Order: sequence, then C-alpha cells, then structure tokens
Amino acid sequence: MSQTLFLARSLAYCIALVVSLLFLYPYWWMLLGAFRSAEAVMTTPLRLWPESIDFDAFFSVARVGGVPLWRYAMNSIIITGASTILAVFVTALGAYAIVRRRGHRLFEALRYVFLLTIMYPYMLLVIPVYIVMFKIGLLGSYAGIVLFLSMGPIQFFLFEQFFRSIPHEIIEAAAIDGASEWQILFKVVMPMAAPVVATVAVITFLLNWAQWFPVLVISRSPDTYTLPVALLSINGELGTNFQGIMALAVITTIPATIVFLLAQKRVMAGMAEGAVKG
Amino acid sequence: MQPLVGQPFRLGALFGALSRDGAFYAFVAPFALLTCLFGLWPILLSFQVSFTASATALRADASYVGLANYVAILSDPEFRASLWRTLTYTAFAVILNVGFALAMALLIDSRFITRGRTFFKIAIFLPVVTPDIAGYVAWKWLYDRSFGAINAVLDLLGMPAFGGLASVSTVTTAILIAELWHHAGFYIVIFLANLAVRDRTLDEAAAIDGATTWQRILYITIPQLRPAILINCVYALIQFLKTFTVVVVMTKGGPADTTNFVSYYAYQLFDQARYGEATAMASVLFGIIAIFALSAYALGNGERGR
Repeated sequence: MSQTLFLARSLAYCIALVVSLLFLYPYWWMLLGAFRSAEAVMTTPLRLWPESIDFDAFFSVARVGGVPLWRYAMNSIIITGASTILAVFVTALGAYAIVRRRGHRLFEALRYVFLLTIMYPYMLLVIPVYIVMFKIGLLGSYAGIVLFLSMGPIQFFLFEQFFRSIPHEIIEAAAIDGASEWQILFKVVMPMAAPVVATVAVITFLLNWAQWFPVLVISRSPDTYTLPVALLSINGELGTNFQGIMALAVITTIPATIVFLLAQKRVMAGMAEGAVKG
Repeated sequence: MQPLVGQPFRLGALFGALSRDGAFYAFVAPFALLTCLFGLWPILLSFQVSFTASATALRADASYVGLANYVAILSDPEFRASLWRTLTYTAFAVILNVGFALAMALLIDSRFITRGRTFFKIAIFLPVVTPDIAGYVAWKWLYDRSFGAINAVLDLLGMPAFGGLASVSTVTTAILIAELWHHAGFYIVIFLANLAVRDRTLDEAAAIDGATTWQRILYITIPQLRPAILINCVYALIQFLKTFTVVVVMTKGGPADTTNFVSYYAYQLFDQARYGEATAMASVLFGIIAIFALSAYALGNGERGR
C-alpha cells in the first residue's frame, strides 16, 4: 500500500513539475533571447544559458517608432497608476451606492447597464469608443485612456461582494449616532474595506499594465503608447530584430511579474472571488 | 430608508431622507457617468451604425439602410466561414482549457501533493498576469521554424517538425496552446478556490467504505464542483468567442484565413472603413455571447433552486 502511495506521489509530482516548468519556459526563453544574438539562437536554440551577458539588445530598442523607450515606460507607469487609483475610487463608490440602494429602480437599472456593457465584445466596443472620444474631445489624450481603463467587472464584483457582506447593524448604529452618509462611508465602511481596496488596486494595476487595444485606439500618435503597444508595433515593424523584440518583451513583463509575486496570494484569491460572483 | 410617517418632524425627516439619497447619488455619479459614456453610449452607437450605410455612417446625416448590413454579412460566405470557425474554435478551447484546468486543480489539491503547492500555482497563474502581447510574442518565436525551441526539441527527440503558425493544418493547435498557457491559470484558481471550501465529509465516508481515489474524484469531488465548472465554462466561452489578441500578434488571421475569427474579421472591416458591416458583425457576436451568458445564468439559478 505504501509503495503504491509512493508511486502515486512521485507521478503526481512529476506531472505537476513538468507542467509548471513548461509554463515557465517561455519566460526563460524570452530572457535568454534578449541576451543572445539571432545567429546564436539559430544554431543552438536550446541553450539554457547565454554565451555572454551584454545589454546591447536593450539599447537597440532605446527608440521605437521615433519615440524614446523611457517615454513608453513613463506612459505605462502614469496610465496604469492613474487608472488604478481612479478605478478604486469610482468602482468602490459606485458599488457601495448600488449595494446600499438595492431595490431602488435607478440604481438597479445602472447595475444592469453595467452588466450589459461587460458582455459586449470588448475589442468591438473600443471602436465606437473612438467615436465617443472624438465627440467629447478626449481623443489622443491621457485623460481619455485613463478614464476608459477605470472601469472593470472584476473590480466592481469584488467591491459589491464586500459591501454586501457588511452587517446592516454596523451602518444602522452609525446612523443612529447621527453620522451622515458621507461619514458612514469614509469613517466606518472604508476603513473596514482596506483589504479589498488593496486587492482591487493590485489586480487593476496588473490588468491595466497589460492593456493595449484601448491605448492603441484612443492614441493619435505613439506619444501616448504604453510598453505593450510599443512591443506590438516593433513585433510588426522590425520582424527580424529578434533580440530587440525579446528585450522589449522582458521590459514589459518584469514589472507585472514583480507586482504579482509580491502580492500573489491576494491576486489569485481576488481573481477567483471576483469571478465566482459574476 | 426609515418610514417617514409618524415621526415628530415630518418635513425634517423628508429632507433628511432626500439628503440621504442625495449622498448616494453623489457616490454613484462618477460610476454612472463612466458606464454611460464608455459603455452604454458606444454600444448604442454601434447598433445605430449597424443600420447605416458605411460611407455615411460617421456623418450627422447618416443614411439608414435598415437591415441591409445584416443581410450583407449573413450572405457573405467569408463571414459565415469566420463565424463557424469562431464557434468551433471556441468549443475546442473551452473543453481544452476547462478540462486541463480541472485536471491540474484536482492534481494540485490532491493528497499526493503535500509541499510546493504555491510554486505550482504561481507557475501556472503567472501567464494570466503577464501582458498578453509579451506572452504571445514569445510564443510566436517559440514556434518559429529556424529560431524556435519547439522544433529544436522535436528534432532532438527525432520527431517530425511542427508546422506551427506557418501551416494551415497546425496553426489552430498552435494558438490553442498559446491561449491555454495564457488563460488556464485563471480557471485553475477558480477550481482551487471551490475545492478548498468543499464538503469533505462525503469524501472521507467514501474512503472508509473503500472507494478508490478515481471513484471518489469521479463520483464525489467532480459533482461537487458543478457550479465551478459552469462558471468556468461561461467565462471560457465568452473569452474565446472574443479571441483577438493572439491573432493580432501571431497570425494576422492567416495562413489562408484559418485563424480569421469574427472579432478580427470585423476589425479588418473597420480598418477598411466598412463601419456598417463591422458593427453588424459586432451585434451578431454580442447576441451570441448574450444568449450563452443568459442561458448559463438561468441554468445557474436553476441549480441553486434545487
């Protein structure tokens, strides 16, 4: 019996390990590609360590499409940061009001409209968004991109779920003590919501860091492109600068990877929770 | 809301109730504004454009052509092929992703894996939060005939070369694998969250009665996971019906339109300023997604009611 258990255990570990390594291999390959010349990769594609460590490839993408790389990086940081902060505020307040005013016709209607918009094929919604941005004069602006990225289903569901779980007595007690709704929200509810706020913030950061299509569509020039969009454009343009493409892929991937690893428990639990509600 | 009648100062109470509601209107205002501005308005606009002639679609005096765009796309053999392709791809992708995720979640959660769970979870979930453009760019080169590691490995093992993205017969498999890599972690995490809260007493009782591991997985654990399987299938359905980024990065719809799915096809029409037909395609895809989502929602409610 214990021998079968040992065998089953070894097999389970073997499979889990092989799958994990296969999932991680593209990262290693990307990183190696950034340090290895195209010729070297062509002759020995499977080398597990670069012949030499030099950062030439990273300098070869110092300018992409006539715009310096640092500008794309700053755009990524600014757009992701601003949209994350905005998303937390907007969805927290919105979800709170919708939960507290459940049954109120207007608030229910808004909830349904929101659910409808998240079902619409995203990449097809973005095109009419282009027209809307044009009409309200935000086309090509950071504001337009940031505002568009401030709405998301997972964020809303996480907040909604949390606010629903707050016992009614707590809010009633505060109201009886004479607290206004503003005081109840900012003095009573939000302090309790700190963990959810953190979860939503990290998840929004990761999702928005990866966003590319809205950024591409709302932008009028590469000046407002983020790193993924820059990567997409060199993927099309310089089809042969393999090393440079891999270097830019590495630069795009590293910040998200670090943020995820620092908050992995929160991110995975939050994603599962926000999804199960939907 | 508190009842207004019977309180000493009715007018004051009424004012209080109004200002209470007023606060909620203020809270919800930014959310409502963004939802309408970047959700509702574009969707309505998209429907509106789908009833206009493309050449005049963006003008104030757009000319309406009724259902002509819908008739045009439905009689376009390329669109019908693209729609069918999208549906079959989605079916394969959903089964593959949810099946793989279920198997991996059961494995990671099983009693055979005692240490290293976090590592396995992180390794498989990392691609979910990796920018999809970066991930697919890496995969594109992994599949490359002369650069790629995949054919190098096959060569090493003495196996025939994999056509990857260049061949009609292998391109669908190739993007299925890349998409599995990017999405499966999400479904696994949902399964693991559900496995963690399941009722273990049945499982233990069955173990005492001498049921084998397989029997317990098949007849006890998987039935308990039904809600999670449903949720994952819905998410995967919606996800893969919209398949887009992987096509943009890796195949551009090719070779020979093999990966020209509806959203990419519609996007190409947008690029050619054929707005009317493109938005009509968007409406069709939206209709399909809504039908799936709503019937799954009804199914979910039915399950809960039992």
